Amino acid sequence: MGGKIKAIWRKTSWAWSPESDRESSEAIVKNFWLHWFPAKVARASMDWNYSFWLGTASASLLLILTVTGVMLMFFYVPSTERAYGSIKDLQYAVSFGRILRNQHRWAAEGMVAVVYIHMARVFFTGAYRGDRAINWVVGVVLFLATLFLSFTGYLLPWDQLAFWAITVGTSIAKQAPFVGPTIQFLLLGGHEIGQQTLLRFYVLHVFFLPVFVWVLFAYHMWRVRKDGGLAAVERVRNARVMVPKATPKTKSYSLFGITPGTSVQVMSSTGLEESDQVFSSPNMSRRIALVFLVVFNLTLLAAILFNAPLEGLANPSVTPNPAKAPWYFVWLQELVASTTVRFGDFTVSGALLGGILLPGFLLGVLTLWPWLDRSPQRAEGRWLAPERKRQNATFAVATLAIIILIMVGVYLRGPYWRIYWPGQARPETPRLY
Amino acid sequence: MADKNESFETKDFGWLVAMSLLFLALVAVCFWLEFRTEWGPYQRQFPQLLGHYGKGQEARDFRPGIQQIWIPKIGVTDRCITCHLGYEWSSVLPATITEPLKPHPTNDWMTKHEFAKFGCTPCHGGDGAATTVVGAPHGGRGWEDPMLSNALAEQNGLTMNEMIQMRCNFCHRHDAATPGMDEINLAKVLFKKKKCLLCHVVEARGGATGPELTYEGDRNPELLNFAHLTGEHTMFNWNVQHLTKASAVSPNTTMPDFNFKPEESRALTLMLMSWRRLTYPPEYIPDPEVAAAAMQPSPTSTATPTPGATPVAH
Amino acid sequence: MDRDRRKILRYIGKGSVLAAFLAQIGAAGRAFFPNVLYEPPSRFKLKKPDDYPDGYTLDEAHRLYVIRQKDAFHVISAICTHLGCNVQWRDTEFDCPCHGSRFRPDGTVISGPAPRPLDWFATTVSPDGYLDVDSASDVARNFRLVIGGKGKA
Repeated sequence: MGGKIKAIWRKTSWAWSPESDRESSEAIVKNFWLHWFPAKVARASMDWNYSFWLGTASASLLLILTVTGVMLMFFYVPSTERAYGSIKDLQYAVSFGRILRNQHRWAAEGMVAVVYIHMARVFFTGAYRGDRAINWVVGVVLFLATLFLSFTGYLLPWDQLAFWAITVGTSIAKQAPFVGPTIQFLLLGGHEIGQQTLLRFYVLHVFFLPVFVWVLFAYHMWRVRKDGGLAAVERVRNARVMVPKATPKTKSYSLFGITPGTSVQVMSSTGLEESDQVFSSPNMSRRIALVFLVVFNLTLLAAILFNAPLEGLANPSVTPNPAKAPWYFVWLQELVASTTVRFGDFTVSGALLGGILLPGFLLGVLTLWPWLDRSPQRAEGRWLAPERKRQNATFAVATLAIIILIMVGVYLRGPYWRIYWPGQARPETPRLY
Repeated sequence: MADKNESFETKDFGWLVAMSLLFLALVAVCFWLEFRTEWGPYQRQFPQLLGHYGKGQEARDFRPGIQQIWIPKIGVTDRCITCHLGYEWSSVLPATITEPLKPHPTNDWMTKHEFAKFGCTPCHGGDGAATTVVGAPHGGRGWEDPMLSNALAEQNGLTMNEMIQMRCNFCHRHDAATPGMDEINLAKVLFKKKKCLLCHVVEARGGATGPELTYEGDRNPELLNFAHLTGEHTMFNWNVQHLTKASAVSPNTTMPDFNFKPEESRALTLMLMSWRRLTYPPEYIPDPEVAAAAMQPSPTSTATPTPGATPVAH
Repeated sequence: MDRDRRKILRYIGKGSVLAAFLAQIGAAGRAFFPNVLYEPPSRFKLKKPDDYPDGYTLDEAHRLYVIRQKDAFHVISAICTHLGCNVQWRDTEFDCPCHGSRFRPDGTVISGPAPRPLDWFATTVSPDGYLDVDSASDVARNFRLVIGGKGKA
């Protein structure tokens, strides 16, 4: 019975059973699931401590989000009158609906974080040199798309949290020079958040952005292969060039008998040795499965333990106090709130300086970094290489500053956007009765 | 080749097995949560209760699951009855049964306000969609319309019966007086007697000295000044104290100190807070004349305020 | 020895992933069976008996005919038993616009594809005096709700 199932499985997914190394590498190419990967992969890229498998974790989250998102689409109604009710139904009346929504929510917020940490890993290992620069830029675009996906999804529950977070978020976009008001007008489908906004965000969230991210993700993966795998490989290559090895006793060397010792070919070895590599199946595919399971379990655990936030129905005439942007934009809100500069009668709006110019500058620098980088090639594929000390410090400080701003915005900001230290009593929000 | 792969397999194998087992365990927890509902025990208890009081057939017909009253034209989706199963069985079940299975008390106005027409939340407030004890009264952070309860009424110096009259007045707003709504009736008398319309606009009538009160119940409590208030920071408390002695709560106000008795201030507050933007269809709005007829020995039938009349001295 | 243990563990691991995956598909499938329905209840109130004139009166909202013969009332479903279109009362018979089924005034089939007569609903008067219809029921053809003595002008 079991053997029969196995035979059917093999017949449907494999062309034949491998009998040698050569055959198994060919088999990988011929298997539908495995042809995505190269036949062999460098041992260095498999290392947990090099990549932390953050890219795989991001992809796992994308898959989880797509599946849970499609499920949610069966229950969600993108109408200002019914959206909130359909979320309440998911929360209280749909079987497994609460878990489904929670997992989607936590996976979404997790993806923003994991994609950023993935980018930080690539930065700290200097893995964006040469041809990999293109993939770095693709990665930056993917990160922005992830942010925008999360942002568009934030509005959909149509509760107070959603409504006012999007109000703050789109008002920041409005401050962009020249095009800002048009961008906001197009996003909102008007001057205020309403039915048009909800529908636009919905279609962006469930169709355009996911398709965009999946296509770009496929390109991202393809480029990883075409660029020769993870940059950890470069570290191994560099090491191979530096350390000459004993001449193998083969006919080609002994033929003339005049080239004892090392040969030019050996010194300039650029390819990886046989011993540096392992078959991607089962080694890499097994590890991908493991990472997926870990990520899935974490999101499911979070979904079981914590409910996704849901506040009162959106009410355009009552702003919650304080109204906060989604946490990944709260640092912008912090900047917006504190960077309005006045020179006499001339005022530079904080929303322009902190909301557009500064993040725009950061984004520009981030995108162009591979071409600004002047560090030596030997720093490639190594964690925190001393040659890149200043670069890494800059990135770390910028990240830390953003994290601190987020922490302040999320945990310390209370009513009227004032700072309240932990333990300090916050003014009580007045109630009806 | 086998030994080369061996190292990775050895490293990952244990984790892979552990994560697989955790995966299964977490999915099992999801199922457990799904079937361990808060309302489950009550729904197992309820048919037994019906059977005990001689309703064997109804007990056998009982279908467990989430129950709801859905009335789209007034936006009601009330699942309260998922737990409060005895609500319409007051003719069979004694009132001594403990909540949540206790039958809803019946009286004169309950026969005129059927469950199928009104549901639960129009009178009681709270989050009708919720099926959990935590969710039902408050609906979550930022929920502004909590369920009225004995405890909440007591906090405000009222009984539940009195407090709920605020919500009766959503529809009975234009009755001169309504049987059973003593608090609101008192407020309506005071409103005329003290000539509130001299300074306040209500429904496009009245003077503009003070703020418009047409939708006073929808005011954001955060916009009130609580600096000079004693006690709880609630809109109810603010109104009570403001009505009693406006100058103490809002130092620069032009509103006279009416020095209402506490029960008068509370009655007026209930009425003010009942004035909300609501969209009940016409068949839900009672004919003021029917209520007036029902109030035959009417204590109030005079004194419509005349704009421009001299203010009452205090 | 170690190989055997590993083999067993591998089966346990794969088995639990498979079981969890199937359970998830089951959970997803379960979610598609709604726990609450946004549908009108099958038992509902119409107008008061006196609000109906003699003869056949269509109630579009509930898709039924209220038939009054002096003090006797009965309620016939307006839903064709063939494929669910609304039948129309045409002075002497019910005709279905979809596939031409024809029914006698008592709802029995004259001709056409309809397999069985139109449903007759159990009807009572509610305590507050409205016609109370249970559309989940199907009563005998001779059912009449007789309102004794009252309502006569």
